[in-house]
Amino acid sequence: MTKVIQIEQLEKTYYLGKVKVEALRGVSFEINTGDFVSIMGPSGSGKSTLMHIIGCLDYPTEGKYFLSGQDVSKLNDNQLALFRNQKIGFVFQQFNLLPKATILRNVELPLTYNNTNSKNKKRLAVQALEEVGLGDRLKHRPNEISGGEKQRVAVARALVNHPSIILADEPTGNLDSKTGQDIMNIIKKLHDDGNTIILVTHEAEIARYAKRVIHLKDGVIDRDEVIA
Amino acid sequence: MILQSLKIALESLWANKMRSILSMLGIIIGVGAVVAIVSVGTGSTQQVTSRIANLGANMITVSPRTPRGQGGTVSSVSSQDKFSLELTDYIEKFCPSVIKVIPVKQISGRLISDDINVNAAILGTNIDYAEVNNYEVAMGNFISENDDGERRQVMVLGSQLAENLFEDDNPIGKRIKVNYEGQVYMFDVIGVMKEKGGSMGGSLDDQAYIPLSVAMDKLTNSDYVSSYIAQAASSEKASTAVNELKNFMVKFLDDEDQEQFRIFSQDEILDTVSSVTKTMSMMLGGIAAISLLVGGIGIMNIMLVSVTERTREIGVRKALGARNTHILFQFLMESLNLTSFGGILGIGFGWAVAYFLSQYGDWPMIIAPLSIGLAFGFALFIGIFFGLYPAMKAAKMNPVDALRYE
Repeated sequence: MTKVIQIEQLEKTYYLGKVKVEALRGVSFEINTGDFVSIMGPSGSGKSTLMHIIGCLDYPTEGKYFLSGQDVSKLNDNQLALFRNQKIGFVFQQFNLLPKATILRNVELPLTYNNTNSKNKKRLAVQALEEVGLGDRLKHRPNEISGGEKQRVAVARALVNHPSIILADEPTGNLDSKTGQDIMNIIKKLHDDGNTIILVTHEAEIARYAKRVIHLKDGVIDRDEVIA
Repeated sequence: MILQSLKIALESLWANKMRSILSMLGIIIGVGAVVAIVSVGTGSTQQVTSRIANLGANMITVSPRTPRGQGGTVSSVSSQDKFSLELTDYIEKFCPSVIKVIPVKQISGRLISDDINVNAAILGTNIDYAEVNNYEVAMGNFISENDDGERRQVMVLGSQLAENLFEDDNPIGKRIKVNYEGQVYMFDVIGVMKEKGGSMGGSLDDQAYIPLSVAMDKLTNSDYVSSYIAQAASSEKASTAVNELKNFMVKFLDDEDQEQFRIFSQDEILDTVSSVTKTMSMMLGGIAAISLLVGGIGIMNIMLVSVTERTREIGVRKALGARNTHILFQFLMESLNLTSFGGILGIGFGWAVAYFLSQYGDWPMIIAPLSIGLAFGFALFIGIFFGLYPAMKAAKMNPVDALRYE
């Protein structure tokens, strides 16, 4: 199996005012294509920092991070933007949809940034929305749909570019348990279809949807657990 | 990428319609003010200029100056007895920019019709006088060459004078008695002039016109005229003509200090008027440009607020693959759109204001393409200049911090 992510001795230090924060202190792991991995840990464990680095939103201070065989720490801002666009699909806790744009436009947004022509853009976006069961809400705006539906739009947006990994950061954090389960079932289905999923959460229940749980604590891996 | 940024920018401006319109307002007013003020300035200048030119194109008056005495003694010789009829030929000969010199003998006398009498200025002159003054006949004819040559006692009346003397009757063919220094002369009315209004030295409408030869030989028995009216070849040559006349008169009268004659030209008034209106419209245009600048600062203000308010949106866009240049162009396009739409609306607004003012002030509406181009170009410049800083601020945001922003 090919390795989509290789992380070696990753460290991240930043300063909050004058306080030095060692968010990650030497983290190493690998993720294979098609895996479903949860990264779990209490707040302050460094899981958000790790997610930002995996998501190419931030640079590590020390260590190496290979995404699809490419050393991410050597990329410049524009190359990082391209990586985020093509290799990573984000699902955020806050949904982060553009409130004034229609659902269709929201899902089309990643395609806008890689110059897909408008015909293909619409076709791919509609396809992604149908995959999450929202093919009939194209013209609605985010404030006209429920929280669960918003997160499904976000999932469709993450899918639309056929990324190497889907990075979900507390995707159920703002949902009630029933709709949370719905979202998790969609994510599980995406995994069954062959997508690589990385789920960041602090809820054990949610983490257990994955095949493997990496437990972070104080910036290091506490436990790497494979779920049968 | 620019086209795509333009599309994104338009969408977000449309999404915030009210704010967009309000921030455009400064530019609309600024551009409108520039266009309207420049238009009003040129229109009113042209109106005043054409009114003055209408009073007599390129006219220069040369007259003797009454000598000033000191302490009861006459200081210098009067130049009056040097303003002879022959001088007209000399002036025409020595001043190449002057195409025509018209001698005028002005006297004042009492005009008596059947039962009305009026004191009026009587001008002895020739046929060219009417032409140079753009002065047209309403009824009958102006003084002809034959009238002058044969010393016919005929008279042409200014419109006001005709009305005073004859009220509603047709004056043509009527006889008028002229009482000049105790002597009475009979004149036949051969023409009435159209209304003309003021000129240098009183209204033409209140004057009577008689052949020069009659005025000089019969009435005053004098060899000297009151003044010369010189016509310059063109309005461009008017100032050259004035200088030529000055030089000629200085030499002819041997009057280095120019004390014995006076030269007065229409051109001088025109210069004064146009420089005054030019200064005025430049000043007002400057104020309008300042309001455009203030509008630009307003745009910057709005854009800065907008960037801060949409920090999270910027983070999301970056997370989804937007490059720094994408974000830069998006915000730059927004401010550029605001100012260019504002500019277009402002041109329309200024046009409308200029139109209504020109209707009200009764001057021609002139919209100079230059003022439109300048105002619009300035608006675009402001869009880029004041949009650049907020756009750069947006583009430089760190995606992690932007996504965390509440």
